[in-house]
Amino acid sequence: MSTTSALPKVRVLRIAGRTGQYVALLGFLVFLAFPLLWLVSTSFKSPQELGSINPKWLPVDPGLGNYRAAFEAQPLLHSALNSLIVAVSASVISVSIAVPAAYVMVRYKTRVSQAGTVWILVSQMFPFVLVIIPLFLVLKNLRVIDSLVGLIIVYVVWNLPFSLWMLQGYVKSVPRSLEEAAAMDGAGRLRTLVSVVLPLLAPGLVATLMFSFVTAWNEFFFALVLLKSPENQTMSVILTRFLGAEGVADLGPLAAASVLATIPSLLFFALLQRRLVGGMLSGAVKG
Amino acid sequence: MSLTASRAKAVPGSRGTPPPRTPAQRRQALGLDRDAWFLLLPALIPILVLSVGPLLYGVSLAFTDAQAGRTAATQFVGLDNLLDLRHDSLFWESFRIGLIWAVSVTALQFVLAMGLALLLNQNLRFRWLARTLALVPWAMPEVVVGIMWRLVYHSDAGVLNKTLGQLGLLHENVDWLADLSYALPAVIAVGVWAGMPQTTVVLLAGLQNVPHELREAAQLDGAGLWRRFTTVTWPALKPVVLAITSLNFIWNFNSFGLVYVLTQGGPGGQTRLPMLFAYEEAFKYGQFGYAAAMGLVMVAVIAVLLTLFLRKKLKEDAA
Amino acid sequence: MRVRSNRMKGLSACAATALSLALAAGCGGSEPDSTDGRITLEFLSLAWQKESVDANKALVKQWNATHPDVQVKYVQGSWDNIHDQLLTSFEGGEAPDIIHDDASDLTDFANGGYLADLSDYLPQSLREDIPQASWDTTTYGNGTYGVPFLQEPRVLIAATALLQQADVRIPTAQHPWTWGEFEDVSKKLTRDRNNDGTTDQYGVAWSMKEPVAQSVNLSLSTGGQIFYKDADGKNEIRYDSADSSVAQLIDRQVNEDRTAPKNGLGMSGSDTLPGFFAGRYAMLPLNFSFRQQVQQQAPKGFDWTVLPMPTGKGEPTQGTIPQTLSVSQDSRHKRSAVDFIAFLTQAEHQLQLARGDWLLPTSTKALKDPSLNTDTYGWKTGAAVAAGLRPSPVLGVRGYAEWKDKIATPAYQEFYNGAFGIAELRERLADDGNRILDRYQR
Repeated sequence: MSTTSALPKVRVLRIAGRTGQYVALLGFLVFLAFPLLWLVSTSFKSPQELGSINPKWLPVDPGLGNYRAAFEAQPLLHSALNSLIVAVSASVISVSIAVPAAYVMVRYKTRVSQAGTVWILVSQMFPFVLVIIPLFLVLKNLRVIDSLVGLIIVYVVWNLPFSLWMLQGYVKSVPRSLEEAAAMDGAGRLRTLVSVVLPLLAPGLVATLMFSFVTAWNEFFFALVLLKSPENQTMSVILTRFLGAEGVADLGPLAAASVLATIPSLLFFALLQRRLVGGMLSGAVKG
Repeated sequence: MSLTASRAKAVPGSRGTPPPRTPAQRRQALGLDRDAWFLLLPALIPILVLSVGPLLYGVSLAFTDAQAGRTAATQFVGLDNLLDLRHDSLFWESFRIGLIWAVSVTALQFVLAMGLALLLNQNLRFRWLARTLALVPWAMPEVVVGIMWRLVYHSDAGVLNKTLGQLGLLHENVDWLADLSYALPAVIAVGVWAGMPQTTVVLLAGLQNVPHELREAAQLDGAGLWRRFTTVTWPALKPVVLAITSLNFIWNFNSFGLVYVLTQGGPGGQTRLPMLFAYEEAFKYGQFGYAAAMGLVMVAVIAVLLTLFLRKKLKEDAA
Repeated sequence: MRVRSNRMKGLSACAATALSLALAAGCGGSEPDSTDGRITLEFLSLAWQKESVDANKALVKQWNATHPDVQVKYVQGSWDNIHDQLLTSFEGGEAPDIIHDDASDLTDFANGGYLADLSDYLPQSLREDIPQASWDTTTYGNGTYGVPFLQEPRVLIAATALLQQADVRIPTAQHPWTWGEFEDVSKKLTRDRNNDGTTDQYGVAWSMKEPVAQSVNLSLSTGGQIFYKDADGKNEIRYDSADSSVAQLIDRQVNEDRTAPKNGLGMSGSDTLPGFFAGRYAMLPLNFSFRQQVQQQAPKGFDWTVLPMPTGKGEPTQGTIPQTLSVSQDSRHKRSAVDFIAFLTQAEHQLQLARGDWLLPTSTKALKDPSLNTDTYGWKTGAAVAAGLRPSPVLGVRGYAEWKDKIATPAYQEFYNGAFGIAELRERLADDGNRILDRYQR
C-alpha cells in the first residue's frame, strides 16, 4: 500500500474509486436497513397516525404508548430471556459438535461422509411440515415437550445441516500442508484440530455461530407447538399474539415488541462482526 | 437419487486420501479411525434420532394414504400418490412459479451479496456499523418482515407509491401485491432483501480466507481490479460460493412463510409456491400421504438441478 | 451399485431403530392426576383485545376460586396459527382440554375424531339460551362438537359526513338498503372532488384479499347459498343467479360503474382504513369487530356510522362463522371441561367476553342487554342484525378448505379483477369445485 510517489492522476482515480465505494455501500445500507427505521418510527406513532394515508418517516407526535401497551399485554422481558437462553445454548452447542464432524467429513472421504452430505441436502429439501409430527412424537417420548431443553435440542439438530455444510467449505480452505507440518511435529489428530485448524476457522465459526443464533432466535413453529406453559414462551411466539384474525394486527405494540426482538440480534452482530475479519490465515501461511 | 448415484460411481474403491496418520490410528470402522468416530459421534447421534428418523418416516408417508385424524386407518398405496400427482396441473403450475422464484431470488441474492461483501471487506470508515446494519433483514422476525413490507407496498399509504409518485414515475397508485403482473416480482424483491445478509456474511467470512499475499503480489504485477478478482479472489472463494448458492437455492425453493404473509399465494395463484402447496395439503387438508409425495417430487427435481450445478464439486470431492 | 444399496440398508436400519423407539414409547399412557384428587384443565384461549383477555383471565380466576378440585390453567393462543398448533398437538396427543376456535375448523377436527361430542354434557339452560341456528354451526351428524359463543355480522362502516353530503336515506336494521339502493348510493358517493378527471372519492371499497368467505356468506342475502345438499345428502356446489348476484354486483361496481376502486381488491380490511379516514372511500363492508380499529385509529373529529349490509329481499340475512369452545377427545375430564365452558358462556359472562373483543354474544339473553343496545359505536345495529345471522353454508362441508385455496380464491380474485365473466366463474367454482368435494365424499 505504499504510494509515496503516486501520480496525481492515480490519486484522483483512487479518490473517485473510494467515493464510489462509499456511495455504493450507502445504497446497500439504505435498501437493507430502511425497514428498521420504519419499524422504530412506527413504534413511536399514535394509532391515529398509523391510520393516516400520508405516513411520515418520523413520528409527528412521538410517544411511548405502544411500548407501554406491549409490555402490559405480554411478558416481553421474560420471553426475551427464554429466547436468549435457547438461542445461545443452541448455537454454541451446534457449532461445537459441528466443527469436529465437519473436519472428519472433509478429511476422511468415506461412506459416512457421503451419507452425511446426502442427509444434509435431503434434510433441507424435504418439506419441513411433514417432519414436524414424527419429530414431535420422538420429543414427546424423550419427555422434553414444554421445556426449553427440548427446544434447544431441536434447534441444535435443525442447525446442524447448515453448520456442517458451511464449515466443510471453510475446513477445505485450510491448507493441508499446515496439518501435515503439525503431524510431522508429532501432534495427534485431535491436537492438530484444536491448535492448527480451529484458529484458522475463526471467521467461518463466527459466521456459522451467527447463523445458528439468529435462526434459533427467530424460529417460530417449533416454539409454538412444543411450548405450552406461559412461563416457557419465546419471543417469536409472543410476537404473534399481536396478530388477530384475518390479518388484523395491533400494529403499534407489535412494532414496539419487534424493535425489542430485533435489538439482541443486532447487538450480537455488532459484537461479533470484528471476528469475521480474521486475517489470521494469511499470517499463518507466511509463518 | 442421482446425487448418490454420481457419487457412488465416482468412488470405485479408494476412499480418498486422509492426511498421514500415526500407526495407532489405523484401526478403522467404515473407513474411520477411533479419533474420527470420537469427533463425529456428538453430531451423529442427535442427527440419527431427531432428523434421519423423522425424515425417513416423512418420506415413507408418500407411499401411503396417511391422513390427519384417527378415523381412517393408513394403508400402503404404492405409487398411487405419485401417479395422481402427474395429473395435478395446479401443482405443476406452482412448480413453475417456484422455479422462477427460486432461480431469480438465488441469483439476485448472490450478485448483490457478493458486491456488498466485497465492499464490506474494504478498509472503509464505519465498517463495523455498515456490517451491523447490513444484517438488519436477518435480525427482524419473519412475521414482522412480512407486515413491514405490506406497509411499504400498500397502495394507498405505502412508501413505495409515495416515493415513486413524488419522483414523477407513477401517476396512479399501483397495488403491488395484488396486481397480476407485479405480484411475483414484488415478492421476489422481498425474498432477495430478506436473504441477502446470510449470503453476505458467509461470503465475507470466505473472503477472509483469501490470502492477502497473493492479492498483493497480483497487485504488484500490475493486475487490474477485475483480473485480481478473477485470478486470485474467485478461485479461493469458489467452494464457499458453491456451498452457499446451492443451499440458498434449496431454501428459496422450500420457503413460503414470507410470501404467505405477503400475498397468501394470490392474486389468482400467481405467488403460490410449491412448498405452500405441500404445506396446505398436509396441514390444512390433512392429506399427509399426498403432501409427502409432493415433497418427494420436489426433492428429486432439486437434486437433479443441484447435481448439474455441483457436478464439478462432487467430482472433486470424490477424487 | 452395491455400495449404494448397502448404504441405504444401513440408513433404514438406523431409522427403524429410532422410530421403533419412538413408537414404543408413544403408546405409553398419560400420567395420572395428582393424588389429592384435584384435576387441572388446560384452556387454550384466543381472546385478542386486552379487555377480552382480562375478562377471560378474571373468569378463570373466579372459577378456580370456587372450584378447588377443578383448576383451569389459562393458555394464550393466537388466531394467526391456531389451526397448525391444534393439528400438531392433536396428532401428538398433547392437545389442551378446552379449545377456543371457530366453527370452520371444527368440521375437519370433528371428522378426524379429535373433538368430543358434547351432546350428553350440555346443560339444558345453555342449550335454550343459544338459538338453534347457532347450534347448527357446530353440529355434524348426530354430534355437537362445540359451543358457539361469539359471532359477528358483516356491516357497512360509513363516513357520516359523506353520507350527509350525499343526502341519502340512512338505512336501519329494520329497513336496510336493497342491493339496488346500495348501488345508487355508491354512485352518489363517488366523486371527482378536484375535477382532475380521476375519481378521488369512491362509494365503497371492497377489501377482497380473502374473497371467499364474504362472497359465500353474502350470497345468503339474495337467497343463494352456493353449497347445497343433493338428494343423497351429499354436498354439492351450485352457482346460479341467486348465488352469484352479490358477486356480480361487486364486479359491476369495480369494473363498470367504477364506484369501487380496483386497488381495494388486494387489501385486507385493515388496509382500507387509511383511505377511509382520508375520505377516499365512503363506505367499507367490514366485520363487526373492525369497529375497534376504526375507533382507535380514526382522526379526531372523524364521525362514522355502522349500517346494516344491504339485502335482496325481506329481512337482512347473512352467513356467519361463530367462535366456539370445544373439548378435546383425549381429555379425561370431559364433564368438568364442559362445566367450565358452561360457566364461561353464561349470559353475563358471554357479554363480557363479547364486549371485550367488540363481538356479539350468541346468547339471546345477553343480546338483550342494554349495553349492546346503545347507539355508541353502532352496537345497536349489530345486535339488531344478529337475528338474521345463519350458519355459513361452508360449515360442515368437507373439502371446503381445499376448494377455497385451490379454486375459489384465485377464481374470485380474477373475476373481480375483470379477467373473465360470470360464466367462467361458475364453471370454475361449480364444475372444478365439485370434483374436489367429490373426492372427500367417496
